[in-house]
Parts: sequence; C-alpha cells; structure tokens
Amino acid sequence: MDFDLTPVFQIGAVGFITAILHTVLKQAGKEDIAHWATLVGFIIVLYMVAHYVGDLFTEVKRVFLFK
Amino acid sequence: MIKLIGALMVLVSASMVGWQISRTYVKRPVQLRALLVALQMLETEIVYGLTPLQRAFFKVGQRVNKEVGNLFLSAAELLEQGRALSAEESLQKAMMRHWPQTAFRKQEQEVLASLAQVLGSSDREDQQKHLRLAVTHLRGLEEEARAEQDKYEKMYKSLGFLGGLLAVILMF
Repeated sequence: MDFDLTPVFQIGAVGFITAILHTVLKQAGKEDIAHWATLVGFIIVLYMVAHYVGDLFTEVKRVFLFK
Repeated sequence: MIKLIGALMVLVSASMVGWQISRTYVKRPVQLRALLVALQMLETEIVYGLTPLQRAFFKVGQRVNKEVGNLFLSAAELLEQGRALSAEESLQKAMMRHWPQTAFRKQEQEVLASLAQVLGSSDREDQQKHLRLAVTHLRGLEEEARAEQDKYEKMYKSLGFLGGLLAVILMF
C-alpha cells in the first residue's frame, strides 16, 4: 500500500512552527498577536485537513455507491 | 533540485527582511546617543565658545556620526546660503531632508523642532536651558529605545525566519 506521507509531515511542521511563533511573540510581550498567529496557523491546518477529508468522502462515495 | 533552490531563496529573503527590520531597532539607540553628544557639543559651542550658529552646526556635524551629522551639516549649509532663512527654518528644512535616512521617530522630531524654535533667537542662558531640556528628553527616549531593542530585535529576526519557513512548507 503506497500512501503519501508528505501532507502529514506538512501539517506537523506547520503546527510546530506555529508553536514556536507563539512562544517568540509571547516572549516579546505581544500576547494578543501571538494568539492571532496561532489562530491563523490553526486555520491553515484546518483548510488542509478539510481538503483531505473531502477527498476521503468522494472515495467513500465511489466505493459504496458504485459511481 | 530547482524546488529546493527556490525554497532556499524564499527562506533567505524572508530572513533578510526580518533582519533588516531588526536593524532599525539596533540603529535607533546608537543614533540617539550621537544626537545627544551633538547637542552637548552644541551647548559648549554656544555657551562657552560663543561660536556663530552656522559655524557651530558645521563643527558639530563634522564630529558626530554620519546620519546625525548630515542633519547639522545641511542646516549649516542652508544658513550659509543666506536666503533669509532663520535658524529655525534651516534646521527644520534639514530635518525634513535627512529624516528618512535616520532611524528616528516622531518624538525625536518634536524634541528637535521645539529646540529649533529657540536656537539663535534668544540669549545664551535661555538657549542653554532649552538645550539641557532637549538632552533630558532624549535621554529618556534613549532608555526607551534600548528597552525596545532588547525586546524586539530578536523577535523580528526569528519572525522573519519562521515566516519564511512557514511559506516554504506551505508551498512544498
């Protein structure tokens, strides 16, 4: 079974960088901006995940509804 | 391979942007110090040397570092040209011309502008008083600038790098 692991690592890396960004901004005393940065990182990851979940649904449809 | 080179370029340029922004935070205290020294020299020239303002500006401008010195040099030049410009007007004009090259902000401009109103238009004691006042103001600003440097210099550096990294990962 060949499964492309790139998106998993991509999402992981975005999460990692967002975490560092949050820490850096918090250290500099810009907590409000830090929260916004985290939110933006979360939205980016959500967008990517939504993409793959959409793929999954079409796949399920294809298998079980014989289209 | 091309992809890797592109990613590297994005990363490097984003880091450079962050580095450049952090540089303004490094420059500001240095230039504020230079301006302080300049004003103290100007005080000596005015109060003890009794030097004419145009020559005092010139002397001061030559002795402090370039960005701040240019301000005084061009003020001296404008005074020398003698197109009926007062000391205040020439200093204001010089400030307008050289401000973008310095790392100063609005507060420094206000301090210098209020000082310019007095220079060359009142007696020695009054000018000395106002010079001292400006120096005190600038000291406070310098401390503030140093605190800001400690806080934000590193932040902008890492922010640039991390932003570049994020862009690279999103596009990879």
